[in-house]
Amino acid sequence: MIHLFALLLYNAAFLLWLRTLLGGGRGRDAPPAWATAAGVAAHVVAFSAYAAEFRELPLVGLGPSLSMLALLVTIGLLGAVVVREGERVGIVLLPLAIILQAIALAVGIRPSGTDPDFQGGWFILHAGLGLAGVVGIALAGASGGLYLAQFRELKARRMGRLFYFLPPLATLDRLGRVGSHVGFVFLTVSLALGWAWTVRFRGTFGQEDVEMWWGLFSWLAVLTAILTRAARGGTPERRAALANSVAFLLVVAGYVVLRVTAHPEAGFL
Amino acid sequence: MTPALVGLSHRTAPVEVRERLAFPGDEAAHALSGLHDAGVEQVVLLTTCNRTELYFESGEEETFARAVDFLERAAGALPEPLPNYLYRHSGDSVALHLFRVVSGLDSMVPGEAEVQGQVREAYQRAAGSDPAMTGAVLNRLFQTALSVGGRVRSETAIGEGSASVASVAVELARKIFGDLRDRRVLVLGAGETAERMVASLGREGVQGVMVANRTYDRAVDLAERLHGRAVRMEEITRALADADIVLTSTSAPHFLVTASNLTAAYPAGVTSPLLMVDIAIPRDIDPELGGVADVFLYNVDDLQRILDESLDRRRVAAVDAESLIAREVEGFALWHRSLAVVPAIRALREHGERVRAREVARLIERMPHLSGADRDAVEAFSRRLLNQLLHEPTARLRRAAEEGRGEEALAAVRHWGEGHDLA
Repeated sequence: MIHLFALLLYNAAFLLWLRTLLGGGRGRDAPPAWATAAGVAAHVVAFSAYAAEFRELPLVGLGPSLSMLALLVTIGLLGAVVVREGERVGIVLLPLAIILQAIALAVGIRPSGTDPDFQGGWFILHAGLGLAGVVGIALAGASGGLYLAQFRELKARRMGRLFYFLPPLATLDRLGRVGSHVGFVFLTVSLALGWAWTVRFRGTFGQEDVEMWWGLFSWLAVLTAILTRAARGGTPERRAALANSVAFLLVVAGYVVLRVTAHPEAGFL
Repeated sequence: MTPALVGLSHRTAPVEVRERLAFPGDEAAHALSGLHDAGVEQVVLLTTCNRTELYFESGEEETFARAVDFLERAAGALPEPLPNYLYRHSGDSVALHLFRVVSGLDSMVPGEAEVQGQVREAYQRAAGSDPAMTGAVLNRLFQTALSVGGRVRSETAIGEGSASVASVAVELARKIFGDLRDRRVLVLGAGETAERMVASLGREGVQGVMVANRTYDRAVDLAERLHGRAVRMEEITRALADADIVLTSTSAPHFLVTASNLTAAYPAGVTSPLLMVDIAIPRDIDPELGGVADVFLYNVDDLQRILDESLDRRRVAAVDAESLIAREVEGFALWHRSLAVVPAIRALREHGERVRAREVARLIERMPHLSGADRDAVEAFSRRLLNQLLHEPTARLRRAAEEGRGEEALAAVRHWGEGHDLA
């Protein structure tokens, strides 16, 4: 029930942004930001109840993981408030969080009954950092997409509602840079921890684990996006914006492909 | 008391008349004391570059005459008699006028925000003078007006978008660079428009200004005024490499900034976004540069088109603002009408209080055994009883006044008061 309430608040925040966008692009940033914050608070309460009831963190199983990812996406969005008009990337990140939370609610946010190995501190760090890394990539991808949209408005010499709604190019570039670096660092640590764990306790490199391949693929995607900034041709900002949005789309596409093709017993999220 | 106003604005008087009645800086305070000396004791003087208006607590004919006389003396000889330029309002239309003024609906540029501060300043000057030159009506009128101005700006789109070519340039720079504090500007041409644009950018924190002009001395002059440095025309390619924003407004008959300048400035290609604003006619910047990916080039037509769109949006938003203002005027009118019964309510309460105090004193005299605490309890009880008894008639009186039946209600109170010692 509280999860549903959080979903409703995320929807309300998104609708407020949408109203601002359709109403000419200008408007107060506080109401949607507060609605998001209220959604995050409700979500945290829901997870606290989950942890108290099931004595485990919501990191294992499809429902809990997707819901946790939705929570981290909205927390990342609240973090964007620190830069000028940064919270407006919510126009992309809130629908993502809404979809994740809706799927989580549809499949059920309950323990998967998996191996107790997946409940230790080691695993919590690995999974938590992995999800946070994906959030970093999502933030970078959303900022990159909006950068390209604002760039297009400016080149087209029009000051429509999108122009007024979208944050400055410099803000979007900064968010993209922070997102991709956070994504890279967290994913690196998460992958290293996951590998160390499988080598130590299972005696393998985890090559049979589909999640490991997705994690590695995501890590390479974000690394490429970061390196693209340093390449030649055009401004680094625009190059990075394009690379970040492509990296995010690849990470999502990789997940969908693996999810669809993985054997049901592989237990892929 | 009925509020009133007399004044002139850009709609009724040409600039040569308005400037005669502008009271900049300390002159407004002197004018206020002049009005006080002339017998206009409760007045707010609103003076901006587009208007001079006097708002009175009570608009008797004599007050108008004294105020107009004061203005005539201040203006001196004019092309036409002063009354030809003046408008006057009284009653609710004063609220409508002031609410429209404070919201920027009566300004040259619809929705301009500066007037809100000017109204606040005018009110504070009058309310803060010694003795205060505002009474209950003016206080309520101006406090409501300031709140209406804030609401109109936050609840409608009247103040959105740019209101001048210079502000369009600033808006574009903000949307590209965000914070403008560390940005550098290259100005080609020492014209007035370019200077205004750089001044607007300066208010946003732009620091490094480089000025180039065909006449180097003029570049030095402008650079000094803008706290920047002058650059010789032969050096503009090098300056281009240092600039984030380029503003051009020369009268050169040919392009001053071309692809070859840009290539020379950025041999490896443009490495960061570059905003170029060309307001010169004929143009100073080769339009081909607009095709370079990270160069954002705007000419005077682009800026004017953006400005027109912005002003159109403001005009549409003005409709919402007008309906908000109409509701607020109605609220003010209700309050103002309710003032008519205030003396009657006061008399009713005073009468009730006299009766209460007398009866409590009698009771306590008859019951000497009551302790101090008991006496306090009787006092409190009698006050509560009185308040409850008077609450309904007071509310009904106010409501009747708000509904325009104040006279009727007052007659009833007077009739009742004849049988009592109602003050």
